[in-house]
Amino acid sequence: MSDPLPSSSKCGPQPATKPVLEVRDLAVHANGKPLLCHARFDVHAGQVFGIIGPSGAGKSTLLRALNRLTDLIPGLRVTGDVRLRGEPIYAPGADVDALRARIGMLFQQPVVFPASVAENVLFGARHLRRLSRSEKHELVESALREAALWDEVRDRLCASALTLSVGQQQRLCLARTLAVQPEVILMDEPTSALDPKSTQAIEELILRLKERHTIVLVTHNIAQARRVTDWLACVCIRDGAGEIVESACCDSVLGNPQCREVIEYLSHSA
Amino acid sequence: MRRLLDRLLFATCGATALLVCALLIGVVFVIAQRGAPAMSWTFLTEQIRQVGAQGGIFFNLVGTVILITTALVVCTPVAIGLALLERVYVRSERWRRSLGVFLYTLNGLPSIVFGIFGFIVFVKWLGWGKSWLSGGILLGMMILPTVTVALIERMKALPSRYVQAAAALGLKQSQIIWSVILPQTRSGLLTGSLLGMARAAGETAPIMFTATIFAGATQPHGVKESPVLSLPYHIFILAQDSFDPAVGAKLWGAALVLLALVLLLSGIALPGRLKMHEEANV
Amino acid sequence: MTRFWSIAFSAFAVAFFALLLGIFVVQSIPAWQHSGMGYVTGSRWFFRTHQFGALPMIYGTIVVSGVALLLAAPVGLASAIFTAEYLPRKARLAVKVLIELLAGIPSVIYGLLGILLLRNWIYDLFARFDISSGDTLLTAAVLLAVMILPTVVTLSDDALRGVPGAQRHAARSLGLTRAETICTVSLRQSARGLVSALLLGLGRAIGETIAVFLVVGRQDNNLPERWLSLRPLLESGQTLTTKLGGAEANIAYGDPLHWAAMMGLGLLLLAIVIVTTIGGVWKKVGHDA
Repeated sequence: MSDPLPSSSKCGPQPATKPVLEVRDLAVHANGKPLLCHARFDVHAGQVFGIIGPSGAGKSTLLRALNRLTDLIPGLRVTGDVRLRGEPIYAPGADVDALRARIGMLFQQPVVFPASVAENVLFGARHLRRLSRSEKHELVESALREAALWDEVRDRLCASALTLSVGQQQRLCLARTLAVQPEVILMDEPTSALDPKSTQAIEELILRLKERHTIVLVTHNIAQARRVTDWLACVCIRDGAGEIVESACCDSVLGNPQCREVIEYLSHSA
Repeated sequence: MRRLLDRLLFATCGATALLVCALLIGVVFVIAQRGAPAMSWTFLTEQIRQVGAQGGIFFNLVGTVILITTALVVCTPVAIGLALLERVYVRSERWRRSLGVFLYTLNGLPSIVFGIFGFIVFVKWLGWGKSWLSGGILLGMMILPTVTVALIERMKALPSRYVQAAAALGLKQSQIIWSVILPQTRSGLLTGSLLGMARAAGETAPIMFTATIFAGATQPHGVKESPVLSLPYHIFILAQDSFDPAVGAKLWGAALVLLALVLLLSGIALPGRLKMHEEANV
Repeated sequence: MTRFWSIAFSAFAVAFFALLLGIFVVQSIPAWQHSGMGYVTGSRWFFRTHQFGALPMIYGTIVVSGVALLLAAPVGLASAIFTAEYLPRKARLAVKVLIELLAGIPSVIYGLLGILLLRNWIYDLFARFDISSGDTLLTAAVLLAVMILPTVVTLSDDALRGVPGAQRHAARSLGLTRAETICTVSLRQSARGLVSALLLGLGRAIGETIAVFLVVGRQDNNLPERWLSLRPLLESGQTLTTKLGGAEANIAYGDPLHWAAMMGLGLLLLAIVIVTTIGGVWKKVGHDA
């Protein structure tokens, strides 16, 4: 079994600063059967951490374990340790709702609420603290600008969000997440439901966002991983459960994969 | 603060749900507790004497069974016809929806309206006097929506590949219905029938003007002037003059028997019910 | 052949329903001709003198059903929120099935419990208000509330479950608490279905005869002077259904005008129930679509 935290020939090791997210020995079981085991990796600030692998390997499950969305899925049991800036998120008595505001999530299918664009953007932020009318306006504008959606919707902030195109809806979901000012943004195949143009827009956004946010991105698109990510972990199925079989900087994994399963996966997806 | 509201909502809703379950279980419990003393083999197999103060409820049970069986016989062909119409013959969504509205409306009609309708048509116009058949027909139409909907739901859940396979073999529509659709959806008809009979067993208003009397009837003979005794009507009459203590225990006993009958029929339908829920909600 | 019989049997069902409605419409005409609008607005019902005012009974029906809904709605809704949002799948199915089983309890049994238990409780509870007996509109309302609870809970639960789980997950991912998610996502998006559940429960309450018959007192002409006073709740009354279910129906058949008046009551009842039910179903169908 290869060492999950190698340094490789093509790029330097992980930065020496303290990681934003530390994952140790994370495992997820569904009704007794293991879905994912021995997950171990670090995510550093300002990084786009990519997770690739064949479908069904457990990538989405791994992602959902990071913001404890797994709590909401019946039958799932999570063991192991995940720390956000040193604090364990699975500690008993941890404030899960506050955690989810710090670790936001973008889904594969854009989930907009049946409300206006502005209401969607403010949906999460409203509950964090009381906002005055002007603060609300500002927040809506800044979130939509950060999500590169402002120019397209500035005239129809009160229109129903369902009238937006799918690509716009995904950016709206991103704006909504950004309005909550998370430290980490988890993205579960955010562009697989979108057309190439919207996909490109989101990818450019990701590259801009990584300055201020840390991003964990699950993708099945290798070319996308190449374009966008800094560090990659590959999840493949071993002994019936998903495992991170290789984790290294992006160029290293894609250019010079060490693990048999990774080589097999990359050759199929090429 | 937010966490406080979160916990508060959970506690309030949980307490309320508990209250509702306790309330409904309490109803059953009270009936069981007060009716148990009257339970005996003779109670179930003898007939009424002394206006309910003595004897048993044998013919009341018989009468109720006759009524619900007739209701089922009347209702089944109509239910199958409606279900086939909705699932197979009608193509337009608008008509389907209208049919759905029709069934819901029929289901919501007050039972007393059925009773008065029956009074006019069967007792007066047809001159049948009080007859078990009138009661059966009225009850059958009352439970029609229950049976039809159960059948339709089962038909909806039938995988389309069965029908497609039959069609691919060259079967005509009516052959497909009789050899594929109806046999495969038997369970839906069964579930609906049980639920319908459970409902019919407890109804008083449709039969009190048209089919049932308090005392003096045993088995029906023919159609005209052939009333039957029934459990719900028995309870209804006795409940209004419930001052004789000797009657009291037997009254609760009759109520317990009726409740047991209804719960038994519903209970047998339970597995089918569970399946319907599973299929509907996935 | 099958097609023919299916259509024939379905036509029979429709004809039955049409005949039912038709009879009530046609046979009540003499009453409308006799009293005109006074039939609905008149507050006195004395059949011997051919005075037919249905208002006290309309009032009784509205009060009894309205209060029943007022009592059952919050309780039913809160229970449904619990089963739909908090319970795991198996527990939810178990509770749902239990409640549906209990929905089948015959109304005459509720009536029996009303007479032998509820009536006394109400009397004891409100004795200091100087009421004459436990047979009151309130008693009937409380009994009805318990009777329609299963309907309200089941239908509300269905409506809430109709909201997609993805919506809830998206809200929770933003850091909303469960309660906030329920209020801003589940309740808001299932509102139409919830209204439908309440309307269908109301329809059931309006049409209930036997249980109400046994505990409402069946006192005619008990219309209060002031419309919004609460006093009538503690007094006996009469509803459309209890009037129709009483002995008067048998007496009335001999007198065409009296009979027409009774049929008019039936027609009013039908109209109210059908409007309420269709209102409830429209909402539901629009919601499911």
